Amino acid sequence: MKTNEPGNHDEALRKVLKEWRTNAALPPGFQEAVWRRIERADSAPAPTAPSVWTVIAHCIGTVLPRPALATAYVAVLLAVGVTAGWAQARQETARVRGELGERYVRALNPYQTPRQ
Amino acid sequence: MKKGLLILLLGLVAAVGAYGCIYFACTAPVRSLQRSEKPELAWLKEEFHLSDADFKRVSELHAAYLPQCRDMCREIDAHNVKLQSLLSGATNMTPEITTALAESSRLRSECQTMMLSHFFQVSQTMPPEQGRRYLSWVKAKAFLPDYGMPNEK
Repeated sequence: MKTNEPGNHDEALRKVLKEWRTNAALPPGFQEAVWRRIERADSAPAPTAPSVWTVIAHCIGTVLPRPALATAYVAVLLAVGVTAGWAQARQETARVRGELGERYVRALNPYQTPRQ
Repeated sequence: MKKGLLILLLGLVAAVGAYGCIYFACTAPVRSLQRSEKPELAWLKEEFHLSDADFKRVSELHAAYLPQCRDMCREIDAHNVKLQSLLSGATNMTPEITTALAESSRLRSECQTMMLSHFFQVSQTMPPEQGRRYLSWVKAKAFLPDYGMPNEK
């Protein structure tokens, strides 16, 4: 494409700029104002990396509502809850059963029977 | 953002709800054992898969054994008081202490004989396989080599 070649483009632009004329006056202090803006932009702090909270908020706001991800998220948490509940119940059941067994033996052994 | 927060909350509620449901469902049998009139016997029935008839006989044996056990407890306690009073002021072995220690051994032996007889009776009331399992378990629990003294490690 001819228009994308730098030589042709520059040439056309130069021609247009040569022909361009304007009589409008610049507002007072225009040049100073431009320089002030340039200085402000130079002295402004460089953009920093987004904070953890920003990333989390972004994920919650835009990533999580995607149907596939939302389904997977709920399914994973459901599985975590089921597994934790089952493991904890198993531990508690073993503890209570062990305790009842001990209690049975203590009730029958005069050397282990709790005295009132 | 609001939809995202709602999904976040839904996931957390699902996790907590699943945890609670599974925990309460899986611990229901042991909670029912604890609530029973005699939890240790209820446990025995479940642990050794006893039928109602077997359990009735085991409960009768248990009920018949307990008064003997209480008498033995009283005898042991009275003897312990006597032994402690003999030991409290003693600085040398005396014939009374020797006699009291011999009596302690006799009591322990009598107690073990009584207990073991009961365990044999109970095991014979159970189905053979469960009876063997019961005996193996109860002997390990009741006839600890240290008699409940803490192990040195």
